[in-house]
Amino acid sequence: MRRVLVVDDSASTRAIARAMLEDESFAAPLGGVEVIEAAGGFDAMRFLPRGAYDVIVTDINMGDINGLELIQFIRKSDRHRETPLCVISTQSTERDVERALLLGANDFVAKPFTAEALREVVGRLLAAPASGEGTRSP
Amino acid sequence: MSDTGGGSGKGDASVEKAREDFLSEAQELVDGLSRDLLLLDQQSRHGESDPDLVKDVFRAVHTLKGLSGLFGAVRMAAVSHELEEALDDLRLGRLELGVRVMDLLFRAVELYGLLLLAEKGHGPEPTKDVEALLLGLGQLTHQGEQGPQNQLAQYEIDSSVLGVLTEYEEHRLRTNIKSGVSLYRIRVQFSLSTIDTALDELKAAARPHGEIITYLPSDAGSDADTIALEILMASHAEVETLRAALTGLSLTIEPVKRRGAGRSSAPVPPPKGPPSRLALGELDDADVAQWPGDPARQDALAPLPSPAAGANPPPTVPPAAGADAAGANRDLSLRSVSQTVRVDIRKLDNLMNVVGELAMARAALGRLTDRVRSQPGLRPLGIELHRLQRTFDRHLTQMQNGILEVRMVPLGQVFEKLARVVRQISRENDKEVNLVITGAETEIDKLIVEELSDPLMHMMRNAIDHGIESRDERHLVGKPVVGTIALNAFQKGNHVLIEVEDDGMGMSPAVLVDTAIRRGLVSPAEAADLSPRDIYNLVFLPGFTTKDTATDLSGRGVGMDVVKTNIAKLGGVVDISSEVGIGTKITITLPITLAIISVLGVEVAGRSFAVPLANVEEAIVLDEALVRNFDGREALTQRGTTLPICRLARLFDLSAEAGADTRRRDTRACVVIAAVGNRRLGFVVDRLIGQQDIVIKALGKSLKGVKGFAGATELGDQRVRLVLDVAALIEEVLATDKERIGLKEGAVAR
Amino acid sequence: MSGLSRRRPDRLAARRAADLGKRVEYLAFGLAGEAYAVPIALVAEILKPLPITHVPRAPHVVVGLMTVRGRLITVIDLRRRLRLPETPIDPRSRILIADTGEEQIGLLVDEVMQVYRLAEAEIESAQVLGGDQQAYLAGIGRPEGALLILLDLRPLLET
Repeated sequence: MRRVLVVDDSASTRAIARAMLEDESFAAPLGGVEVIEAAGGFDAMRFLPRGAYDVIVTDINMGDINGLELIQFIRKSDRHRETPLCVISTQSTERDVERALLLGANDFVAKPFTAEALREVVGRLLAAPASGEGTRSP
Repeated sequence: MSDTGGGSGKGDASVEKAREDFLSEAQELVDGLSRDLLLLDQQSRHGESDPDLVKDVFRAVHTLKGLSGLFGAVRMAAVSHELEEALDDLRLGRLELGVRVMDLLFRAVELYGLLLLAEKGHGPEPTKDVEALLLGLGQLTHQGEQGPQNQLAQYEIDSSVLGVLTEYEEHRLRTNIKSGVSLYRIRVQFSLSTIDTALDELKAAARPHGEIITYLPSDAGSDADTIALEILMASHAEVETLRAALTGLSLTIEPVKRRGAGRSSAPVPPPKGPPSRLALGELDDADVAQWPGDPARQDALAPLPSPAAGANPPPTVPPAAGADAAGANRDLSLRSVSQTVRVDIRKLDNLMNVVGELAMARAALGRLTDRVRSQPGLRPLGIELHRLQRTFDRHLTQMQNGILEVRMVPLGQVFEKLARVVRQISRENDKEVNLVITGAETEIDKLIVEELSDPLMHMMRNAIDHGIESRDERHLVGKPVVGTIALNAFQKGNHVLIEVEDDGMGMSPAVLVDTAIRRGLVSPAEAADLSPRDIYNLVFLPGFTTKDTATDLSGRGVGMDVVKTNIAKLGGVVDISSEVGIGTKITITLPITLAIISVLGVEVAGRSFAVPLANVEEAIVLDEALVRNFDGREALTQRGTTLPICRLARLFDLSAEAGADTRRRDTRACVVIAAVGNRRLGFVVDRLIGQQDIVIKALGKSLKGVKGFAGATELGDQRVRLVLDVAALIEEVLATDKERIGLKEGAVAR
Repeated sequence: MSGLSRRRPDRLAARRAADLGKRVEYLAFGLAGEAYAVPIALVAEILKPLPITHVPRAPHVVVGLMTVRGRLITVIDLRRRLRLPETPIDPRSRILIADTGEEQIGLLVDEVMQVYRLAEAEIESAQVLGGDQQAYLAGIGRPEGALLILLDLRPLLET
């Protein structure tokens, strides 16, 4: 069972991501996918120490702890420094996507994302070996 | 790979649910947008704007854009996209918040409402409006971009912090710096389990003193249960003030040092000497190279521009420390809509029914307990039972009250919508109207609130259309050019009163009578008999309107009579008073809740009825000798005033039931003096039964023709007691003859 | 030959059933000695008479109000509605709780009989009685020799 952590303060975005990723057609060949939802940075921090995640998907523009700060925190943590990370971007945060990639995110999907787009990125991140993708900040 | 993710149907069901979530979330976002825009409007009239507010509006639209894109709501997405760009310009200081922008924003919110309705299938696609709005948004010209002042470099902020600021947060930081604030680094540790409340506390304590830019989790001190945060905050206050404000929360506050300049909260003084690369601190070449294409970063290598260049004060002003704290708090309470949960009112009704059943079980339990207690051998058991029953009773009452409270919502919900309507109508009429609202926190049953918005909107339209004069007319009579509509709500006993008062031209009794005669609603002879109160009430007759040209808003006279009927359906009454040249005041009296009311039980011809205590002034014994007969109507003289009376047995055509208690024929009857507004009527009944709190239920549609009953309640033994509709009965009994004919035939005859 | 003759009644019965068309279940009840019926799908409950509280000024057909599990239900006397002679409520009287979709209404009847499954072919249109018929008459049902007057609830309950 693959575990994907989805961090976004919009409940329905989380819901649709869950629907897209847990759907049988996508999940079955992977051995099953379980989506864990976090409603924001603090929520994510509650979940992170308590489990292993195969992929983390996070929005950038969130109140309080924003996505960039979360990524930095994740990349500095022992547990998840190598976990594949995908950010959700929108057009008005292009500069932020660059920063996210510099901070260690592996890939991004732009909102509004289709099921195909999300599954393609998450699928690829699930399949790839943990290290070796994207730049890392020093 | 034996364990699969989920059932094959799971995908479909979750998408369906997701769509429901989307519609619900979108609605909440739009509601929040509407509230925020009203606040923003108020602020912009004073030349201010709260950046947090703009940020919230931006984020709401941003989220709406993302959501509507995800769920295929193409038009919504298009509108959101354009709107978001405009808002982005606004929050980054590239666009100024003026009347034109506010107008477009308000129109956008209305459009969202229509679009959502269309999405739910409850309305047509508002294509034209969408096009118009997109056009309007596209035409907004941008101001020149405020020169990127790199005053950021003046502060000793760790590059790791700067690197994780989103573009927006960075903008906020710059804006704050431009206004000459101090930056503070607050280090605090929270337990992850209590972080939400602790954080709210912190935010509330900090807010009056400045703006929190970002929260950065630091690895030092974070583990599975605690999180250490580094908070960057901008504030005009001194560090001691901040420390004082944030005592009680274990944290450390350090000012962020400025390079070269002294530590002060005065506006940034010019730096001493030419800045060197080193002095620019931790923005070294390596860092810069990694952030290509960012003009701000390029500037970091250039000599610091003189701070004086930024002469224009930024259009956005961070919430001023101290002085406006009270205002800020008030804003907070309006905006932080509190943790709310959307509840289906039917679920509440079901809950009430369950509680009602519990209440009856409790009564039966009580009787059983008494019986047990009276058995000599079982006395200790009986006492135990009794104690348990008392506990049960207490909790049951608490639950009843709790459910009732849940049904109560503040009237502010309706009032806010009205503010928008008033704006719109005033502009359409080319009049200037100010809506002043007091008592928005007054609470009333949710069901009533939902039925109120239409009648209130109608009254607004009437007031603006027919009441408030045009600017010129007002000027001529010496009134302020801006008209005022005062909307006031308050609780009075078991009722809520809503007053709508305008300072317009008022209603002239002569004109009213004249119009009524012209429309065949009264004859000249009848008109002569009308009391002032009756004259004003002519407005409520179907077919009445004073404007000869029917405006498309409220012309056709379908207005006030429908309003009155709707209010009556809710168990309320409407009263009008007016003074020519001064204004008109409409008062709506409503019961606080339809659900549980206190009643006085009465017996009439062997049957029992309930009279809502809210309408009961007092009850006296009837002395037949004091009854006078005035042309078919009976009345009593009571304390110097005449009290009309009505014998319920006669009104309801009830003859004493065979087997009714004959002993009572000798005892005297009682008069229950009921009042609604300033009309009084004494109901003659056989005897009083007693007071109780009951759950009132509506009568079914099949009985809608039966006038005089507000509902019924279930008595313990499955019998039913009808609750009198005092307002309707008073209306009926005290009606003048012509009104009575009108009531019967639905039109006042000549 | 004997095999043939044995098979024929079965085939006949099957063809008869097919000819008659689909079947609807009707609940038959008695009013003033006659048998009436309504589709049972519209009957939510059948209750023995509970205390009914008279409602002043209500139309004559309304007997009054009763409560069933916390709900207020208006009770209509079908005999008054159909202008039939009334008899006092006796142990066999029943109240049918009918669901009109908008509301639940109680119908007072003299007795409840049984459920009949009527095929389309067993129902005659009310026109056969000639003259102008009331809107609430849905037809005549003739199951196995019995005679049922079928009622249409919605017009029946429109007061």
